[in-house]
Amino acid sequence: MIRLYNISKQYGKHQALRDISFTVSKGEFCYITGPSGAGKTTMLKLLYGAIGPTSGQLQVAGMNLSLLKKNQLPLLRQQIGIVFQDFKLIPTRTVGENIGLALEVIGTPRDLIERRVQAVLNIVGLPGRQHLYPSFLSGGEQQRVAIARAIINDPSILLADEPTGNLDGAMAVAVMDILQKINLRGTTVLVATHDAALMKRFPYRCIRFRNGQLETK
Amino acid sequence: MNVTFLQHMLRRATRSIWENLYLNAVSASVIGASLILLGLYSMIQNNLSNVMDTWNKDVHVSVYFADDVNEEERIQLRDDIHKMSEVVQVRYISELDAKKWLIEEVSGIDETLNELGDNVLPASLEITLDAAMAQPDKIAEFARRIEKKEFAAIDYGVEWVDKFNTFLRMFHVLGTFVGILIIVAAMFLVTNTVHLVIYNRRNELEIAKLVGATQSFIMLPFLIEGAVQGVVGALGALSGLWIIHQTLLNQLQQSQTLRMVARLEFIPVGQQLLLIFIGLTLGLLAAFIATYRFLRKVG
Repeated sequence: MIRLYNISKQYGKHQALRDISFTVSKGEFCYITGPSGAGKTTMLKLLYGAIGPTSGQLQVAGMNLSLLKKNQLPLLRQQIGIVFQDFKLIPTRTVGENIGLALEVIGTPRDLIERRVQAVLNIVGLPGRQHLYPSFLSGGEQQRVAIARAIINDPSILLADEPTGNLDGAMAVAVMDILQKINLRGTTVLVATHDAALMKRFPYRCIRFRNGQLETK
Repeated sequence: MNVTFLQHMLRRATRSIWENLYLNAVSASVIGASLILLGLYSMIQNNLSNVMDTWNKDVHVSVYFADDVNEEERIQLRDDIHKMSEVVQVRYISELDAKKWLIEEVSGIDETLNELGDNVLPASLEITLDAAMAQPDKIAEFARRIEKKEFAAIDYGVEWVDKFNTFLRMFHVLGTFVGILIIVAAMFLVTNTVHLVIYNRRNELEIAKLVGATQSFIMLPFLIEGAVQGVVGALGALSGLWIIHQTLLNQLQQSQTLRMVARLEFIPVGQQLLLIFIGLTLGLLAAFIATYRFLRKVG
């Protein structure tokens, strides 16, 4: 599902990632971990095409990102779901509109969007909240809305960048429970985190980074 | 691009117009103001051209008799000129007729003229030439051919008409140049206003891109918004121009001295449609430039 061959990324003189190679199989749950500045976020940005590698080959959901043209980027993003630490919800749009945006961009009819929104809100444990604005929700609830948006179009891969970083312990566990549930439905989940306790509680394969290099495992 | 996608686009555009009503009104006003300037220029140019056409078609030569030419000789000269092939009509105006005409045209001058006597204005011939003669060179050549010692002066106003034609041509060139400047300035202003709308919504647009929005999904609502701004601006400009036209018409009709131009015409339908087209293009182009710059920046 995800394959990297000798990926390096350089920002000016700063080497953010050096010679990274790893594979994530279809349906796998996997962590990308390491201390701050290790290159976790850079890695995820490469995976959803926000930046390109300086060298190396990168394959995500069957697409070779090194050969991907700019106008093909939306196709990649329509196949993956992304969850951010800061939720990235639109404050002027309701929960339903925020979640439905991922279907709106591919021209899904409104009635179908509404049905799908209700369904994913049930999955993340927020039934009937579609008419609320994000500011009326707690941090944990907002993150669950962000997850609902990421999974509404049944992506094959879910990327989560520090999804529990802004949440307290109980909320973090609730979010991880949902991610686990999504993974059980067949979605490949890749979570960037440095929360050791959480990784201990939800043990999966760890891809560990240090100073832009892969440690081992 | 399916119908559902277009429905989403229209809904997003409508929502954006509503949420950024002030900025949209500013854009439409800038387009409207620039089109009013273009429309005014058009109206002036059209009406001056109409006046010019009337003068060009109305080819007249006035011949003023010398004092020592008697009535019989004047009539003989009138008949001679009338026989010329290019002459359509010749009207003899005696000193008395000329004086009467001036008294009718200029109020309050009668006392002064009466004090000066009956022969204060010279007798003359008013010669109307064939429309084919409506060229400065031909009229000048005709004037040279009829020159005689019995005539004190021959006036055909060609120089003046020629100068006015030159002025009109310069006005046209200047108007085109200023028109282009106005359109470029309006486009710059509208582009920056659309930029502000995009800036207001940049988070939403960036998020849309992260969930797989295509360039057309981002751009199309802004293009619809731009088109609406352009058309609303143009319709506003046409309404404004119509009000200006009506006001000027009333003013001119009340003025005795300017009643010649009282038939001030509104810009023709073709030019009205052209103004709407320019407004539409301006709005679309400004929205395209602003959105394209944004999309290039966010990647």
